Amino acid sequence: MVTLNEYLFLSALLFSIGLTGVMVRSNVIVIFMCLELMLSAANLSLVAFSRFGALNGVPVYSAQVLVFFIVTVAAAEVAVGLAIIVAMYRARRSTDVGDMVTMKN
Amino acid sequence: MPQALFYLFAAFAVLGAFGVIVNRNPVSSAFSLIGCFVSIAALFIGLNAYFIGTIQVLVYTGAIMVLFLFIIMLLDLRAEERRPLNLGAVLAGLGTGLTFLVMSSVVIGRFPEGGRGMPELKAVAGSDVHELGRVIFTDFNFPLQIIAVLLVSATVGVVVLCKKELH
Amino acid sequence: MLQDYIPVLLQILVAGGLALAILILSWVLGRSAKTSQIKDSAYECGMLPVGEGQARFSVKFYLVAMLFVIFDIEVVFLYPWAVNFRSMIQSEAGMTMVWSMAGFVGILFIGYLYALRKGALDWKQ
Repeated sequence: MVTLNEYLFLSALLFSIGLTGVMVRSNVIVIFMCLELMLSAANLSLVAFSRFGALNGVPVYSAQVLVFFIVTVAAAEVAVGLAIIVAMYRARRSTDVGDMVTMKN
Repeated sequence: MPQALFYLFAAFAVLGAFGVIVNRNPVSSAFSLIGCFVSIAALFIGLNAYFIGTIQVLVYTGAIMVLFLFIIMLLDLRAEERRPLNLGAVLAGLGTGLTFLVMSSVVIGRFPEGGRGMPELKAVAGSDVHELGRVIFTDFNFPLQIIAVLLVSATVGVVVLCKKELH
Repeated sequence: MLQDYIPVLLQILVAGGLALAILILSWVLGRSAKTSQIKDSAYECGMLPVGEGQARFSVKFYLVAMLFVIFDIEVVFLYPWAVNFRSMIQSEAGMTMVWSMAGFVGILFIGYLYALRKGALDWKQ
């Protein structure tokens, strides 16, 4: 039988892989993908809580509504974020975070 | 049998996630992420969240990842493959990721309710879309309007960022 | 409950098996050609090929794709509303539901009007 802990551990594992990716990779687009992965990992734990916290045989639907909203916000975030990346690429001809050092000095 | 399916899809999800950060080609990363998202959708369906699983496939893989692939095609991203890896960043990333994993494992291990299995669900007449819709449109009315405002601001942001000359 | 997924499994097996069978068949039946770097290069009237083979898209496509994602989300919210509409309209929460969706679509309509006014959907410019 699959327990709640296994779902939570899987969620933590996916989240830490995403976190590692954000720090290791230097391409902005891949960093953005890793952010999406972290959001999805959080969604997994929310849905697991919704299912395992079922009261009287009814799952906690509020948690699933929260997942719904997170997916929506993620989509809006991706649309605007990718627009920013395209604008950045037009200005600098690069999508590497190492090249975005205008504000450093 | 459900247990075997859980481990199968969990393995696929973790493999896909590793693929995202290991592949140097952004297109391969995007396809690994699609595999990961589809496995997560399968896990959602295993958790009896059918509508959320559908949304995961429709929105994440159907819209968001298409947009990612589109941008990768739009921009010329050959340069990163030739760039050497930054060793300091790799070490810092692995350290942070492992630290987070260990910390959250300890927290999860001490979670008293965590060891129990899935409670039995009552058999419902319709699908979970009914229940979910009822909760969204009665208890979550205000967040829904906020989401609408957020989407409008996203529209404005996209138009302003993408159009060269507005009129 | 798990038996309900057998059609899905069958479809995955058929789709994957077909792709695999085609790949294996083409590998078994086809003769392997002699390849060299010059033979594999793109043919450009005897000239040496210059630049990349990948064509770049116009940014116009991209703006439409972004707007598609945003309005796709709106449709995702419309779906549970439409499914519930008939059963909810008779209960006392019915009017709340109608007004909540009217507000949601109304606010998004402002965004649509903005995109339209700014010429985001004009193709010719």
